[in-house]
Amino acid sequence: MGRTKSISATRRKPKKRMHLAKPRTRRFSVAPALEPGAPSDFELMKGIQAGDPDALSQLYDRYNGILKALILRVIHNEAEADDLLQEIFMEIWNQAKNFSAQKGKPLGWMVTLARRRAIDGLRKKQAYARAEERLQNETEQQPDAWVHNATEEQIMLSDTRTLIRKVIRGLPPAQQQAIDLAFFKGMSQREIAAKTNTPLGTVKTRLELGLKKIYDGLKELKDEL
Amino acid sequence: MSFEQFQNQSRLYVIGALEPEELEEFEKARKKFGNKAEEFITKCYALHEAFALSLRPAKASTAIKERLMAMVKAKKEA
Repeated sequence: MGRTKSISATRRKPKKRMHLAKPRTRRFSVAPALEPGAPSDFELMKGIQAGDPDALSQLYDRYNGILKALILRVIHNEAEADDLLQEIFMEIWNQAKNFSAQKGKPLGWMVTLARRRAIDGLRKKQAYARAEERLQNETEQQPDAWVHNATEEQIMLSDTRTLIRKVIRGLPPAQQQAIDLAFFKGMSQREIAAKTNTPLGTVKTRLELGLKKIYDGLKELKDEL
Repeated sequence: MSFEQFQNQSRLYVIGALEPEELEEFEKARKKFGNKAEEFITKCYALHEAFALSLRPAKASTAIKERLMAMVKAKKEA
């Protein structure tokens, strides 16, 4: 892997920054805005692909909190979440060559990777029962559960998060629950139906309606962010 | 399958919630709709970002980054 100019050097000389080809698909993004002059996620990914550890360091600083929150939401164990976070960033480093700007945004790619690893970890441990029990216990303490009554004043939320959560909270609780179990627990429709004692067709309808509302809500959010 | 039905299935697909029998039908429709299908699926991945960003960021142990960067350095030097 050849040595390339570091991202920090790129920042000092923005005119020499390599511009990536525009993705062919127009996408809407919900990612928070960056500070002026900060390298974009695409630039950092390009740096990682070129073997620049500084690019990985910056990407880590930018997203470790979000990815750890996602992992924790799946596995509910602080130490295991830290270990998994490290493994995931190592995988980002190792698999960066497989990232394509044409197919999506870096954050989406990282979240997909982190979610898959976290759910795999959960399944390997065969800890569904324990995790569910913990989830039950934590529901009242967990400030980030979707179905939660904490006031916004109790939690410092970013604008982006507030807006996204507003969209999600606008869903009926049954739709939120179905999406929560599918996305954060990796459950199939049948598993959700069994867990919630709901007909399979109802689960499917809840997922379809809920995801469509969130998707449509995100399109509207794009204009507000 | 109509394109509207395909769109509904795509949102389930990206979160891994399609059942095996639905997946087969989905892949057939995906081929049928071609680029239009691929573009829509790509857009659906914004749902992943949104779900992650809906969570309050969690603080990682400071040792994690040090270990990570040491591993990266070792791998580069290997």
